[in-house]
Amino acid sequence: MTANKNSRRSWLIVPADQADALTSVQPQGADVIVLDLEYSVPPKNKESARAGLSAQIAQLAAASAQVFVRVDRATRWADVRAAIGRGLTGIVLPSPEEPADIVEIDALITELEKARGVEVGSTEIVLMLESAKSFWNADTLGRASSRITAMGVGRIDLSMMLGAVPQNEFRLYRFLMTRTLVAARMLGKQPLGAFWRPGSRGGLASVADTLRAAREARLLGFSGCVCAVAEQVEPVHVGFV
Amino acid sequence: MPPYIRRSLIALSIDDPKLADKAFDSWADAIVLDIVKDSAQDWQQTLKAQMPAAITAASRGGAEVFVRLNAQTAYAELEATVFVGLTGVVFVGVAEASELSLACAKIDELERERGIPQGTLEVDLEITTAQGVWNSLEIARASSRLGTMAINEQVLYQNLDIPFEDTLEVEPIEFIKGQLITVATAVNGQAQGMSYPLCITQKEADEATLKKAILRARDTGFKGALCAYPSWVKHCNEGFRPSADEVEYYKEVRTVFAEGLKRGLASVPLNGKMIDVPVDLRAEVYLEWADRVALRDQQKIRAHQPVQAVT
Repeated sequence: MTANKNSRRSWLIVPADQADALTSVQPQGADVIVLDLEYSVPPKNKESARAGLSAQIAQLAAASAQVFVRVDRATRWADVRAAIGRGLTGIVLPSPEEPADIVEIDALITELEKARGVEVGSTEIVLMLESAKSFWNADTLGRASSRITAMGVGRIDLSMMLGAVPQNEFRLYRFLMTRTLVAARMLGKQPLGAFWRPGSRGGLASVADTLRAAREARLLGFSGCVCAVAEQVEPVHVGFV
Repeated sequence: MPPYIRRSLIALSIDDPKLADKAFDSWADAIVLDIVKDSAQDWQQTLKAQMPAAITAASRGGAEVFVRLNAQTAYAELEATVFVGLTGVVFVGVAEASELSLACAKIDELERERGIPQGTLEVDLEITTAQGVWNSLEIARASSRLGTMAINEQVLYQNLDIPFEDTLEVEPIEFIKGQLITVATAVNGQAQGMSYPLCITQKEADEATLKKAILRARDTGFKGALCAYPSWVKHCNEGFRPSADEVEYYKEVRTVFAEGLKRGLASVPLNGKMIDVPVDLRAEVYLEWADRVALRDQQKIRAHQPVQAVT
């Protein structure tokens, strides 16, 4: 489960309120485990998920996993406070729109690193671009913190905002992927994204469709993507060679 | 309407002993001279000695002549390569507007020093990096000398870490090309390029494949291309222009529409299509474009005619 910054192909989302899921995901060999505090956790479970976060991170880190926490934009401060500590590799920050969004989180992370004995500056930030504004500001967002190591293309919020129906062909998506790729490569960050097709994406994507989405994303210049379920890890590894 | 009739460009080394013959025989609209910096010697002095003759040799067949320089070492390379007879300079790898501004200040100085009419030397760009793509509009706006913009796809693919494979049904940098075409046009320049996948495979394609690729490039908005092989030149010259059929059609459009206007109509039918003002304007542009291409071809034919001895 070890991976350096340059070989993080699979970013497996694991709901942070499902501690049991951790034991099943470890053997899948994801390059990165993303403990999720965003959409996969129902509101009523968020508080308990935050409370159990440090123990989960410690458990995964002990198994040499690279562990990120995806925070919820609406509760990002509380989520970051719950996440920062030894064993955490970084934070996945969805939908930043202005550099100030990132500067603020960077400062909070620094404060928490100092307080909790974590090497200052060691906690990474991964940006998920999920709004029209975030794609337009991608370069200034990517420069907002030296902690940023990767930039990814979001989908659900993006399709809602831009008016596309997620189940159909999201025709703007390839344009947005290109913009993310150019910004990420310009800034020396890892570009994250996959070329998902209608009817077979997210947790529904079959192994074959996941392989295709990953392979085509690789041919478009990307080097890793988010996996919604553990079964997608292996085809993602095959696709991103 | 393309600002420049520059359908085919071919790159030749100034060290090539057959430079003059290759340029002459190519029938390319433009020759791009690639310099060679000999580190064992004072390369600037060597290039200064070579360039005037190389420019003359490259232009013998009526081609415009450019020199291709590295944006990062432009200042020193300009000093060694800018001489009378050069149409312009192609900068490879400009990533920020300030780089182009600095280079253009040097060109201003060299024009004054070397008897080149002020402001006439054109500047063209070959984009090679993500940064160059991202900043393309600012870069293009940095100099009124800007003429054409192109993507060096071999280098850009490496910079973006896109594998050299042509198995994808979509073009990986399709949107980057779209950006480049609109940026170049927005600053009254034009974009040069070939369509996918020939732009990355650079294969010596059969005639039908090549013609199709050129038509697609033209209809995407490119006005010419750097030819990977001399065999591409003829097809680029024929393809990056209105075809004979289009010329005939648009002549008819102009006639039919003019008659319609006389009868007080705003639109008239022609072979099942509606002809109105935008179509007539397009016809006007295409016919003027075709005329300019014909003039350019005549210039090159004259340049290829044997020089008669003066008695």
